[in-house]
Amino acid sequence: MADSLSPEELAKHKKSYTAVGIALLVFTCITLALGIWPPLDLGVPGATWEDVVIGLTVAGVKASLVALIFMHLNHEKSLIYKFLLFTFFFFLGLMFLTLFALWDPIREAIDSYYTRG
Amino acid sequence: MSADAHDDHDHHDPPFWRKYIFSTDHKVIGLQYGFMALAFLAFGFFLMMVMRWSIAFPDRPVPMLADLPWFQAWLDDEGKVTGELYNMFGAMHGTIMVFLGVVPLAFGAFGNYVTPLQIGAPDMAFPRLNMASFWSFFIGGVLMFVSFFLPSGAAKVGWTNYSPLATTTDLHFGDLFWTGQTQWLVGMVFLITSSLLGAVNFITTIINLRCRGMTWMRMPFFVWAMLVTGFLLLLAFPPLEVAAIMQLMDRLVGTSFFVPTGLNVNGTPFIAAGGGSPLLYQHLFWFLGHPEVYVLILPAIAIVAEIIPCNTRKPLWGYRTMVYAVMVLGFLSFIVWAHHMYMTGMGPAVSTFFQTTTVLISVPSVILITSLLISMWGGSIRFNVPMLFATAFIPMFGFGGLTGLPLAFNLPDLHLHDTYYVIGHFHYVVAPGTIFGLFAGIYHWFPKHTGRMMSSKLGHWHFWPSLLFMNGIFLPMFFQGMAGFHRRAFDGGKAYEQIASQIFMEDGVFARAFQSLVGRTDEVLIAMGRVTAEGAADHAIYLIDLNIVTSFSAWALAIFQAPFIINLFWSAYFGKKVKDDNPWDATTMEWATPTPPPHGNFTEEPVAYRDPYEYSVPDADEDFTPQFEPDPSEEAAPASPEPVESEIDSESTT
Amino acid sequence: MEIPYEVTARRDTGLYNAKIGIWLFLASEVMLFGGLFSAYVFLRVGVIDGVDTPWPLGLDVHKQFVWIGFVNTIVLIASSVFVVFAWVSLKERNYQRFQIWMVAVVLCAAAFMVNKFIEYKNKLTEHHGIKLVDNSVMEGKIVHDTEKIKFAADSLNVPLQGGLPAFLGDFEGDFPAFKAVYVGKEEEGKEPVKIEKSGSSAGDFADWFYEARRQVAEDLAEERKKLRDAKKEGKTYQMKPVPTKGTVTPAAGEGGESEPFVLRPDNRKMVNYSRSEDGPDKLNYIDAVTVDGKVLADKIEYELHEINLQQVPITKQDSAKLWEIFESQGHGYVKDEFMEHQAERIQELRTKFKDKPIPAKVMQSAFVNLIEAHLHEPKTGEKKGGGDVHGEKAKVNPAADDGHDKKDDHGDGHHGHYTVLIDRGDVKFFGNHGPRYGNYYAIYFTMTALHGLHVVGGALVLAYFLIFGKKLYLKNPEHLANRVEVGGLFWHFVDLVWIFLFPIMYLL
Ligand code: HEM
Ligand SMILES: [Cu+2]
Repeated sequence: MADSLSPEELAKHKKSYTAVGIALLVFTCITLALGIWPPLDLGVPGATWEDVVIGLTVAGVKASLVALIFMHLNHEKSLIYKFLLFTFFFFLGLMFLTLFALWDPIREAIDSYYTRG
Repeated sequence: MSADAHDDHDHHDPPFWRKYIFSTDHKVIGLQYGFMALAFLAFGFFLMMVMRWSIAFPDRPVPMLADLPWFQAWLDDEGKVTGELYNMFGAMHGTIMVFLGVVPLAFGAFGNYVTPLQIGAPDMAFPRLNMASFWSFFIGGVLMFVSFFLPSGAAKVGWTNYSPLATTTDLHFGDLFWTGQTQWLVGMVFLITSSLLGAVNFITTIINLRCRGMTWMRMPFFVWAMLVTGFLLLLAFPPLEVAAIMQLMDRLVGTSFFVPTGLNVNGTPFIAAGGGSPLLYQHLFWFLGHPEVYVLILPAIAIVAEIIPCNTRKPLWGYRTMVYAVMVLGFLSFIVWAHHMYMTGMGPAVSTFFQTTTVLISVPSVILITSLLISMWGGSIRFNVPMLFATAFIPMFGFGGLTGLPLAFNLPDLHLHDTYYVIGHFHYVVAPGTIFGLFAGIYHWFPKHTGRMMSSKLGHWHFWPSLLFMNGIFLPMFFQGMAGFHRRAFDGGKAYEQIASQIFMEDGVFARAFQSLVGRTDEVLIAMGRVTAEGAADHAIYLIDLNIVTSFSAWALAIFQAPFIINLFWSAYFGKKVKDDNPWDATTMEWATPTPPPHGNFTEEPVAYRDPYEYSVPDADEDFTPQFEPDPSEEAAPASPEPVESEIDSESTT
Repeated sequence: MEIPYEVTARRDTGLYNAKIGIWLFLASEVMLFGGLFSAYVFLRVGVIDGVDTPWPLGLDVHKQFVWIGFVNTIVLIASSVFVVFAWVSLKERNYQRFQIWMVAVVLCAAAFMVNKFIEYKNKLTEHHGIKLVDNSVMEGKIVHDTEKIKFAADSLNVPLQGGLPAFLGDFEGDFPAFKAVYVGKEEEGKEPVKIEKSGSSAGDFADWFYEARRQVAEDLAEERKKLRDAKKEGKTYQMKPVPTKGTVTPAAGEGGESEPFVLRPDNRKMVNYSRSEDGPDKLNYIDAVTVDGKVLADKIEYELHEINLQQVPITKQDSAKLWEIFESQGHGYVKDEFMEHQAERIQELRTKFKDKPIPAKVMQSAFVNLIEAHLHEPKTGEKKGGGDVHGEKAKVNPAADDGHDKKDDHGDGHHGHYTVLIDRGDVKFFGNHGPRYGNYYAIYFTMTALHGLHVVGGALVLAYFLIFGKKLYLKNPEHLANRVEVGGLFWHFVDLVWIFLFPIMYLL
């Protein structure tokens, strides 16, 4: 962040912070409704994959708002983007390569071949 | 750093404890790390010597230890090593060597001492964090050490601490917190915290504290390696911390993160909710584990990369290529981890993926090692002691790396996994590899701190026997491993002798090679009474004798570390004085400081005028032109006062 | 000596040191929580139907916590907004406003933790689940502290190796008066060593224990030395047996009479116990301590809130262990009503899914909701509103107001709950809704506790800026602003993690 922010810039910042705060509250209510309000509980009652996708998307939107506006990632130095990019990449690896072990397509094919008889 | 600020601080000396114990000076912290790591290396070595006795002579009492009353609980009635003791020493040997020996020596000691000097910084970016990081390491180390003296003894299930064995071991102790198995986890949490703080500090220092003129591509290769190592620690350690926390929960609170449904322990059902996954532990462990092996090797490669140009009086060959290679290596090392898990039944698609990335990662490794080799081509080499170690490093690391390739493919690995072959593979990389690199570093930078050279004669007495015995230890392991010797048999395979793999001798090509090598045939053995005619098929019996070769080599190796220890202390006081601040006629920034470097390092503002390895520049007066030597042709300030933005954008990654 | 770029940004990187430092640290935090999230997903998708405990999110016992999670989300988001405003105030060089915002942040953190505490306490003390041997599960609450057995111990046999025995913490009431004896190995012509001690504290016991343990070790070492020496000379030697156990018995207290110890062994430390017709009952500890005495009480008294047959194959639900227990205690009708409702519910699902097959998971989760809604009704069985699954909330603590007198009227409904007595032999696993209870609870507690630690840590740092910031502000306001920015970054990260924790722990 620049050391010197003009009063106008600061005022602008404040406005956007308030707006984001309100947006976050609204999204939180949406998340809650998705979870407990029957009309919004998609598919069958309980957690189904539709709920998971929508719930996580809303959470993702909220998280990006926090990261972009509150944490100033919408205008940061290139260096920081660079190492966050790597972190994110490895994070994905950690999330999905581990799961890969549970959903091995080749093994599934073999299994289903034998179970089909 | 302004001159008067400097004076201000030099006038009143800080008290002893502030200067040497709770110091924030990166050099003092580096030395603290160094001494503690050397002590742990020695301790880890001692554990291994006991294990080697049990392997070589499983039916004889351990000498000396058998008569210590307090040690008796760990021996059997006749004073022989029990399987339990062997497991405990084995697990702690690995843990201590990796987390308390090599990493602190390579990253903590050399990284701390040398990095700020090489980039011309007055200290680390966060000196107090640096101190916190050392003390966190210290606590972790003490906990690990203390765990040996608990009623349960130290951890026993291997340095990888696999669950569910790690979860269920020693659960019968009333005080679960003070069991070795639990303390291993607590200790690891401290060690990990230490590494994380250290990594943050290193990276920040390298990014922000480079002196004037020290652009990215003027950084010595050592600094690059430290940067990459820092990232490896920073991003790979947290998942292990997670695993340690989850295992702690399993042990202390009774959760079942890694406890599968229906687990039986010693025939009785284990009381837990179940539903956990042992595979998850392995994922989290190896997500760290593989980057960790690069944490072990990169500093050593980097030290060697400093020493080779200096002693060949030639620039490092392919500096830029090496920089890119090390970055690619760092990147790839995060996506190869499951090559340690081929045997878990993950499935062929996963194995294929990881096998591919593993083979890919050997490309940058080979680039690094080849560049080092080519650097020596056509140089007028000074074979002083650091250079001897650095030269030996190259083939030794080569052995380790090349023997990794068969492991990378999942089919051969099914045979080789958990055999002595794997032990041989990684020890070639870390023992005659990394440890030699670290020795080279000690011999190389010793004069910077003490103002005295280490004795070359003692150095030779250290180097040649070490080289010989290192190979005496690890070379036989490949043969044993291919014959199917399991890596964790506490009797060295005696009990296993009869059922040892026959594939090896009957139709293996290595087998025949080995058979002709030792020249012993079945008939000879039968004549010697070693086997009966029926038993002659069990050819692994040849290889059991290698246990003794290995063990004697190990003990001999221990003896020949004495010259080093003597050298280290004797030379500090009585060694030959250095001729000036730059005894090796080297080119990097650390040699611009006074000897030893004071608090704040440089007496005048350091400026980097050129690339790091300007040796034998044509037309220069001398065969070296240091980075810090002002350039007469450029009267004004150096090329770039501060590295410029565009340069960073184009060249920095990670 | 001064470190450059502590306050001002370096020109080429555009960053001051602490900013790089905090982002690096956050990167590692991403991997830390990333590891936990990945563990969450791994464990959850790895659940094997019908074998492992399913994720409990469909249950109503669980849904009551949604509101706590919701409030906490709001609180954290608000605090995140306050932190940026505190930073802006510093940028405007308005110290007073900075203080106000910062106080608000710290208060939010406190509110968050209080809320968390309430939730933890509720889970740990108000909910217990019991899984019977055939995997049928009951949810409810253990009453009268009956989760541990009560055992009157006449004598304990203590092995004198390893650490202090586990039973030391299991006495009911104060540490009792005891007498401990160890008799050493027998040797010709010598009285065996005898180590005796009476006392009434853990310290006294430890004194005896260590002394006797030393004696055992020495005797063993001596025998072994003899064996080795003999071997060296080529002779054989028969080792004399060294007793390795001591005995602990109750001693006469002040009253003069000695009374048995009353032990309440921790379930994880007790291996098993057995009754015996002729002779003392036995209790075995995990550390090989064996106890003779008498079982005083071992039935679990349980207030039933709901039944969960998710882990019982549909074909076996008819003969679940559960029904046997109800039957024997006069609640046979529960089964009939359960079966009736189940049939209705399956019919409902059939119409909903038309010709498509009903996924097993949907089917199973449906069972639980149904059963629970049913059992919340009074025992008489009058239905109100046709069993609306979603409309009805479980009561947080329905039996708290009449905690006494349960003994006399167990078997009768209280606010629609039944109290039953359960034999330990029928139980496979039981516990409160703490981390042990299943992987959902384990990961829930681990993640939220770790997150809670971050909240506390972050709040402490911010509070430090609030309290001690003035001096720095006067010296160099920009430095304080930088620090608050960096502290704020951490705080936002903590908020960001919670944004994901809320849906995955409470809703999905
Ligand atoms: C250059 C290419 C390398 C390849 C292809 C490679 C491959 C492998 C593979 C596949 C394994 C697993 C073997 C098994 O458990 O069955 C392994 C084990 C191991 N490697 Fe490497 N490796 C390489 C370099 C290194 C380096 C540079 C180091 C250390 C500095 C190292 C240290 C280790 C260690 C410590 C283990 C054993 C871990 C254990 O199971 O305890 N490797 N390697
Ligand atoms: Cu690896």
